[in-house]
Amino acid sequence: MAKERKQHIRSDMGREEFQSAGMFRAWADAIRSGSRRELARAITLVESARPEDVEPAQQLLELLLPYTGGAQRIGISGVPGVGKSTFIETLGKELIADGRKVAVLAVDPSSPLSGGSILGDKTRMVDFARSDAAFIRPSPAGKTPGGVARKTREAILICESAGYDIVLVETVGVGQAEWQVSRMVDFFAVLMLPNAGDSLQGIKRGILEMADAILVNKADGGMREAALHAVNEYQSAMELSESRESGIIIRSCSALDCITVRSCWQELAAALADRKKDNRFDNRRRDQLRHWIRSLAEDSLMQILQDDRNSQKFLEELAAEVDSGNTTPLRAGLAFRKKVVSGLVDQDERNRMPI
Amino acid sequence: MNIKKQPLYTSKDLAARGYEESGPGRYPYSRGPYETMYTRRPWTIRQYAGFSTAQESNAFYRKALKAGQKGLSVAFDLATHRGYDSDHPGVEGDVGKAGVAIDTAEDMIQLFDGIPLDEVSVSMTMNGAVLPVMACFIVAAEEQGVSQEKLAGTIQNDILKEFMVRNTYIYPPAPSMTIVSDIMAYTHRKMPRFNSISVSGYHMQEAGATPLQELAFTIADGLAYLEAARSAGLRVDDAAPRVSFFFALGMDFLTETAKLRAARELWARLVRERFQPENEKSLVLRMHCQTSGWSLTAQDPLNNVIRTTIEALAGVLGGTQSLHTNSYDEALSLPTDRAARIARNTQLILQEEAGLCQTIDPLAGSYAIESLTSDIASGAMEIIREVDALGGMIRAIEQGMPQRRIQESAASRQAAIDSGDEVIVGVNAYRSEEAQEVDVFDVDNKKVLNQQKKKLDHIRSERDPGTVAQALERVTKEALADQQAGRLLEAMVDAARARATVGEMSSALEHVWGRHRAAQTAISGAYRKSFQNKTLFMEIVQEVEAFARREGRRPRMLVVKLGQDGHDRGARIVATAFADIGFDVDLGPLFLTPAEAARQAIENDVHVVGVSTLAGAHKTLIPSLIDELKREGADNIAVVAGGVIPDKDAEWLRKKGVLEIFGPGTRIPEAARRVLGCIAARGAGKGSR
Ligand SMILES: Nc1nc2c(ncn2[C@@H]2O[C@H](COP(=O)(O)OP(=O)(O)OP(=O)(O)O)[C@@H](O)[C@H]2O)c(=O)[nH]1
Ligand SMILES: [Mg+2]
Repeated sequence: MAKERKQHIRSDMGREEFQSAGMFRAWADAIRSGSRRELARAITLVESARPEDVEPAQQLLELLLPYTGGAQRIGISGVPGVGKSTFIETLGKELIADGRKVAVLAVDPSSPLSGGSILGDKTRMVDFARSDAAFIRPSPAGKTPGGVARKTREAILICESAGYDIVLVETVGVGQAEWQVSRMVDFFAVLMLPNAGDSLQGIKRGILEMADAILVNKADGGMREAALHAVNEYQSAMELSESRESGIIIRSCSALDCITVRSCWQELAAALADRKKDNRFDNRRRDQLRHWIRSLAEDSLMQILQDDRNSQKFLEELAAEVDSGNTTPLRAGLAFRKKVVSGLVDQDERNRMPI
Repeated sequence: MNIKKQPLYTSKDLAARGYEESGPGRYPYSRGPYETMYTRRPWTIRQYAGFSTAQESNAFYRKALKAGQKGLSVAFDLATHRGYDSDHPGVEGDVGKAGVAIDTAEDMIQLFDGIPLDEVSVSMTMNGAVLPVMACFIVAAEEQGVSQEKLAGTIQNDILKEFMVRNTYIYPPAPSMTIVSDIMAYTHRKMPRFNSISVSGYHMQEAGATPLQELAFTIADGLAYLEAARSAGLRVDDAAPRVSFFFALGMDFLTETAKLRAARELWARLVRERFQPENEKSLVLRMHCQTSGWSLTAQDPLNNVIRTTIEALAGVLGGTQSLHTNSYDEALSLPTDRAARIARNTQLILQEEAGLCQTIDPLAGSYAIESLTSDIASGAMEIIREVDALGGMIRAIEQGMPQRRIQESAASRQAAIDSGDEVIVGVNAYRSEEAQEVDVFDVDNKKVLNQQKKKLDHIRSERDPGTVAQALERVTKEALADQQAGRLLEAMVDAARARATVGEMSSALEHVWGRHRAAQTAISGAYRKSFQNKTLFMEIVQEVEAFARREGRRPRMLVVKLGQDGHDRGARIVATAFADIGFDVDLGPLFLTPAEAARQAIENDVHVVGVSTLAGAHKTLIPSLIDELKREGADNIAVVAGGVIPDKDAEWLRKKGVLEIFGPGTRIPEAARRVLGCIAARGAGKGSR
């Protein structure tokens, strides 16, 4: 990195300009010294879908990496309207009052039709968004599921390097993207509605597997009773479940009430502190790193397959074979694997390689 | 959600709908609230006006009364609406702009100087800061020697539609409803000639509601207020006769006429069913109407005289009690004197020359009108049942149901116009090549601001601080006590008398209740769905896709309103439509300062900020947004503006660095294309990498 490595990258000076590593160093320094604008631009860079932006993004990340790892990374998820943004606003204000610096990465769904999105989270975090100690960045999920998650991880790192000691990640729902987010945060909290009784059956399993906390929100006004009832239900579901060795925090909360939000945070922070004592915290991060590398590898394999004309053509041929009844989908899959994978890795690896 | 008209109506249609003849002033009142209607007294010509300082508005009112206007209707500026004094830092661009600035009882005294308040009825459009403004009004009358029981008029006091569409609320919904019933109770006891509420559908239609939705949600609001009055201990017969209504008159002539007739019928039926009043008067819906501001075009503005006349006629044939006709230049700015005169004359001509006052409800019995009346009533009833199912209007608003419906209608309408399905003469068809020179009226906002500041300083130094503090303390105490019995307004009157300011009186309540922030949401998909000309639509979609491929991300735009202006129909439509086209759209919260908007633009790293402006504060706020961006080294973020911006302001704004200005009537695909152009001019994502 010390050598003047030339990069092909867009900049203020023009797309065709060749930039030196010095520019990245200046950029990284600006981020670390608290420039909101440079931080925001860095997130844009890692989020970019342009292939030629990948390398510069990595270059910048490498410079920032030594300054990462210090924040508490908290995921907050739940169905639309459950109160995630409101919770974050209340929590954020409390944390800032305690002298912390808080970054929020909010992933908003994009329209599957137009690909565009409406990002409105800040309208629910107006007071918090005003604070000097806050940084809020909503990002569109885009059309491809999973894509966001990878970028979110990098955005978390950038925020950490900018000195934010708590990074909150807001995602909608409990699907694929959330599963991935749960694998990149230290603590994954899911907000639930008090009266979600019916839908509970379906999502219960998934949530119990990935959540570190279930917070039944809107436990105020007329909903208090219903919320307590829901808490009971989750607790008994939890007791029946054997898939987790460590406990989940299950409790009610009201995002509108700073006292209950603060007490949620205290419980959560205590759990994190516990985990730090016996290495569970570090182990989780290490696992996550592995998971990250693995998913990057998987993604790039997929990309290679998608970009490879021959493979795609072969797939088409196989599909035609299946259509005409000459072979079964299973056999076609095996044939594909045999043909495509053989060149990639040695025999041993191949047996374990999922496609 | 629109009423579908048949090509032909016959007597069979009447029979099928069970049409029964009735008379004016008779249940169910479709033919009019009174027996004699205009034959004895024509409708009241009540032009809504107010701007600048109290003195200037006062001069305007006097002139209008001399020229044949019968009642006054006061427009307050946005600072007053939101309960801020003129010297509050967040309101500098809004003072005196879209209405008159009122800071203390002194301003109110000046506003009505030389206007006998026991003779002229006064309607006041005030909802958020309704308590301080009512208090100042009562004190102003008092100092004229007119005691409050002689005061006639109406206070809008309709907070539900503020949460739904207009956004000039201050407190959260629950205490806001407390205020509404407090005023109902107070006027019941002390102001027998005053309407305590004007349940307004007008702003719903302006925000995009169809006439049917407007009617349904307004009636549902009215029912919610009667409920509130009942739980505050008022009998329905004490509350209902003081409830008045306010509807919009759009361009669909037959529908609008029938809507007003249906409104009376529906209200009478529902109040009888749900509240069982003893007094027949409780069933009677009385209304004010205003021609649609949204229907006015900036192109070929004289066409607006014609539009307003047609809309006014629907109001008259529908049996309104009072009427405001818009000025032809209101798509461009506040009305000039000439335009205001013509607007008033429109009504005078209808009254004096057209012979409309000689026959009561002349359209009764028409196959079409009676069928439509019945269809609209039952269509609205269906929506009201949906509201009931959600637990009433307050719950429905909390869940965002009416807001969503209205936004959907607005976006579909925009798509219909943009794709040429709906024709607007002079805008998307029959355009005139001729340049249109129109005078515009402009308020020198800086001058007003300085005058108000001086006046405030003077009053603050003259008054007795002890009395003021005591009075304000009592206001806070009453808010804590939450008695709902008119005691809040009573305490406010004392405070106003002691010359407490509107801002102080509002904060005395804010201490207890806090200030409400509504979440901004915009729907998606409605624009795309309703855009009929798919080829035209896909062209721009493809351009956006190409941008995204080239740049590695979609074009990203922050849509904001700055200052206290809460009219967000335009902003929401733009958000919905641009997202449907493929942009990533950040919708900013309402009431942002320029610095806050700049920060959000930078954090979100948008390509462009689009400012939607309707209230005239753009000359102050947009340049300071541009300065803020520059200061943060983010001048590569383009700034564009849309809304009501007169040509000469547009020129000025361009010089200040606004790259594009979208006047009313700009088709959205066209706007999107120009926005892409702006981004390119700023070097696309260049600076943002
Ligand atoms: N009564 C009550 N209302 C709440 C609470 N939390 C949030 N709300 C309301 O619920 C609505 C949605 O809240 P948001 O915070 O925007 O929800 P969200 O989960 O971020 O929603 P999306 O970002 O759209 O997925 C808002 O009107 C909030 O005021 C709560 O604890 N109690
Ligand atoms: Mg949210």
